Amino acid sequence: MKSRILMGMAVIAMVAVLSGCGKKPQVEIDATNAAIEAAKAAEANVYLPAEFAAVQDSLNAVMAAIEAKEGKLFKGMTAEKEKLAAVTALANQVAANVAAKKEEVKKEAETLLNDIKNVVTENGKLVMKLPKGKEGAAVIEQIKADLANVDSAVAEAQGAYDNGAFMDALNKIKAAKEKADGLNAEIKEALTKARIRF
Amino acid sequence: MGKPWWHILIISAIAVLLTLLVLIIFYPVPDPPSAEMKDAREAVSLARKNGAGMYAPDLYMEAMAAYDSAMAEWRRANTIFIYRRDYSKVTALAALSEQRAIEASSISLNSTSNLSVVLERELKELNILMAEINRAFPAYPLSTEVRNRISMGKMLLKESEIAYKGGHFLEAERKISESRTLLESSYEYADTHLKSYFRSFPQWRIWVDSTIAISRQNHDYSIIVDKFSRKFFVYLDGEKITEFTAELGKNWVGDKRRRGDKATPEGMYKITKKLEGDSTTYYKALMLDYPNEEDTIKFREAIESGSLSPSAKIGDMIEIHGSGGRGADWTAGCIALKDREMDSIFKYIGIGTPVTIVGSMYSLKQALKR
Repeated sequence: MKSRILMGMAVIAMVAVLSGCGKKPQVEIDATNAAIEAAKAAEANVYLPAEFAAVQDSLNAVMAAIEAKEGKLFKGMTAEKEKLAAVTALANQVAANVAAKKEEVKKEAETLLNDIKNVVTENGKLVMKLPKGKEGAAVIEQIKADLANVDSAVAEAQGAYDNGAFMDALNKIKAAKEKADGLNAEIKEALTKARIRF
Repeated sequence: MGKPWWHILIISAIAVLLTLLVLIIFYPVPDPPSAEMKDAREAVSLARKNGAGMYAPDLYMEAMAAYDSAMAEWRRANTIFIYRRDYSKVTALAALSEQRAIEASSISLNSTSNLSVVLERELKELNILMAEINRAFPAYPLSTEVRNRISMGKMLLKESEIAYKGGHFLEAERKISESRTLLESSYEYADTHLKSYFRSFPQWRIWVDSTIAISRQNHDYSIIVDKFSRKFFVYLDGEKITEFTAELGKNWVGDKRRRGDKATPEGMYKITKKLEGDSTTYYKALMLDYPNEEDTIKFREAIESGSLSPSAKIGDMIEIHGSGGRGADWTAGCIALKDREMDSIFKYIGIGTPVTIVGSMYSLKQALKR
């Protein structure tokens, strides 16, 4: 008789345990959100937008899975906790990768800035050797106007770089570099035609 | 002998409990809308990847908001007693989110595809315009402001090409628009200026034909200077026998109006003096009879009409001289040739040789084609 009573109580206890052990993994959710916020603060959305979006997608999927479990009688959240841990790890990885990517962009911007400054300096010197112009004074005036524009683009890019906006600086400098290189080639061609050594 | 009554009571209670337990376990509960939410989530994600955030921002935001609302509704529904839950609102919101995301995605794809085609065409057009500017106005004396506008337009064109290549179509579109404004306005200004200058073409043509006819008639030399192409032609018996590159006054567009305007005059002149050695600064020179009677009349009229200051003086000392070959329009209004070219014409060009200076021997269309 006693054993039957015990068996009944065991069944009830099992039901209680099975339905109660699936509490929402709030601690893990908070940790994942914090990791994603940290990645965002590190500008993952600027430097690694695709990877950052993937992390957010993963979190959304896990949150939906959690809600699905919440709707069930027996809420085993073990798998969701593992998924949250994986998303947290992914967010941390992205945050770490951002630093590397940022450094890479910074170096590229720095290199291009130095390169363009050298080209700008060279252009400045070369244009002085063209006092007589290429096809006329008007052409020199146009080259000078172009050089002034490159100068202001370089200054803008330098400003962005100094403010830590390396991606912005890189985008700005790429166009200016192309233009400065084009001018350099144009001036050198003119000097070569005029048989002026440079 | 039957079981005691309490025994039967306990067995009955257990049976009721077990029945209840079975009912609890197997009673149909509403299925969570996981599949619908997954579809919505994937559609939103795809829309974002397709650039809907940029190209269909309103629809994309609507899709995201509907998804967030669906999640909030799902959470709310889950707080209700399990057998009374109703996920129909969640399902509806998820469906709305998916629908909007699909629409946003589609619009975005169409936009990027269309924009890509449009931008490619616009970039091509702008590059043609830029090439036209480079072809028509490289040596045309434009103001510093116009030069700056052209330069900024060129820079923006370069930036828009980079943005286009990087798939940043909206940025490319904006920069193309800015570049177009600058380049087109500069081109129009320069083009209008040039067309206005070429209104004198019929007169120039008469002078040129007349000069060639004189050469043919007199079996003698004549000189024609084409300012636009910067060419110096020598004719004998009405046939062109040689041509050189000429360098002109810095402000060569238009007729000379006064002393110091650095313009090269336009008209029919004659050589009045041949200078060499110490009598000229520029190696060798052929002095022209500028200002002639017509120039003097025009100058007086300009003073009288007020288009020239009363203190203005008429120009003089216009020559064809050496020290050229600088590749620039650098003279104060004279025509400069290389020294060896001066040597060659100096031998046979005599005093009285006709020298006709025109804006162009060809129409604007022909001149630009050349």
